[in-house]
Amino acid sequence: MRPLNRLLIAVSLPALLLVNLSMAAETGSALKNDTMRVEPFADAKVTGSFNRGESLEILNKKGAWLQVKTKKNTGWVRLLSIKRGSSGASNQAAGALAVASGRAGTGQVISTTGIRGLSAEDLKAAKFNEAEVKTMESYTQNANQGKQFASAGGLKTVPFANLKAVDGGSK
Amino acid sequence: MSQLNKSSMKINMLISAVLASLLAGLSISSSAFDLQGTLKDAAKKQIEEQLGQSTNSQQATTPDNQSATTPTPADSTAPDSVSSTIATTAETPQATINWKNPSTAEEIALGREITGNLLGAAPLVKNEALQKYVNSVGRWVASQSERPDLPWHFGVIESDDLNAFAAPGGYVMITKGLYKKMSNEAQLAGVLGHEIGHVVAKHQLKVLQKQQLLNLGAGFLNKKIGKDNKIISQAIGSGAEISARSLDKSAEFEADRLGLSYATRSGYEPFGLTDILQLLGQTGKNDNSVALLFKTHPHPDERLATLGNSVGSKLDNIKNGKTLENRFYQLK
Repeated sequence: MRPLNRLLIAVSLPALLLVNLSMAAETGSALKNDTMRVEPFADAKVTGSFNRGESLEILNKKGAWLQVKTKKNTGWVRLLSIKRGSSGASNQAAGALAVASGRAGTGQVISTTGIRGLSAEDLKAAKFNEAEVKTMESYTQNANQGKQFASAGGLKTVPFANLKAVDGGSK
Repeated sequence: MSQLNKSSMKINMLISAVLASLLAGLSISSSAFDLQGTLKDAAKKQIEEQLGQSTNSQQATTPDNQSATTPTPADSTAPDSVSSTIATTAETPQATINWKNPSTAEEIALGREITGNLLGAAPLVKNEALQKYVNSVGRWVASQSERPDLPWHFGVIESDDLNAFAAPGGYVMITKGLYKKMSNEAQLAGVLGHEIGHVVAKHQLKVLQKQQLLNLGAGFLNKKIGKDNKIISQAIGSGAEISARSLDKSAEFEADRLGLSYATRSGYEPFGLTDILQLLGQTGKNDNSVALLFKTHPHPDERLATLGNSVGSKLDNIKNGKTLENRFYQLK
């Protein structure tokens, strides 16, 4: 029995490791046609391209960039070009991305059925509730309090102009 | 029958024509009404509160820094010529709703009424620490918007749905269900930023304005409305119906752009909002918790792609944005 156990462990251990490794990779799909680059920079050399809807593997995250693997190539692409998770399935494990963004262990997507929903009918039938508005207003923070809260978290304002609409849409 | 249809079609066309001219600002003689009760009190209260706070808030915020990039279309800042002539017919300027160009006080009063109705459908989560936390984040993000001087109010409401709502004048609500999907402060800032964007760009207000100007054009409102002069209730329809209505797709895309911009300016990691759009995109279409959200918004994939087009390379040099998951208020 003992040698057999040992053998089983020896055989299954690499297999388990493999499973773990493959779980760490996240699948995704392309939201638009885009080019991949050898490094996460706009002026880095192009390694290949993909088309909208193409499925790919997400290997890594760095700032505003994801490293992805298509059937043909591997490269870095801006993260807003990629939809995380396989297109059909609803709950893809966050995997490598969660690790990279420091939120492993939380934020898993679990579909919950609406125990207490808020349908259009509910909203239409709603009756004014003065007490609740007053309560909500009682939590109000003024600008100074907001500023202090930001400082406490080390938040500093960054110059950044409002994004503008781009013609051509998402097609 | 066909005769009748024809004539009603004519009327519809006439209404459209009148509406178009009203909206174009060609001819409008009287677009405001006597108003008592709710609006007056609510507006007064809000104005007093705002005035009380303004000494603090004006020093603390730097609204002019971003004024060059103000997204509000020109019509919302147009000269207030109509109200000045109309206001004289009432005792106080707040006693009218000038639908052509509502004042901030009128906007706040409308938003308060809608908020009260929404809270009637889904009350606040009874958790003061949570509510104060969300107000702190929201207030900071709103301070980086083009309307930092509104009395911004935020609330987490009791619902397992995934959704968030904005009402005119600075009221923002997010469901408990959506809050629980979040794992850091940057995501909260992005979602609140989207709703703040709706308020800043006056998206909901414009829907109400259009509808009221349409009614005016058809002469539906040209009579006294009994002793309880509920102008506001009449304007916003039944309950919080307005919150269940879709805005134009373009309004949602604009709110996404503004939300991301505000959160980025606030020092957060810029991809909080898109994190949440990713999560929503992975939620099944048949999941009840996103039924209303998916009905009233473009699909998250489309929002991500559209936002991505606007972002382009603009975030390449934004570094050191914070996610602050360590102080994110965890809700069980």
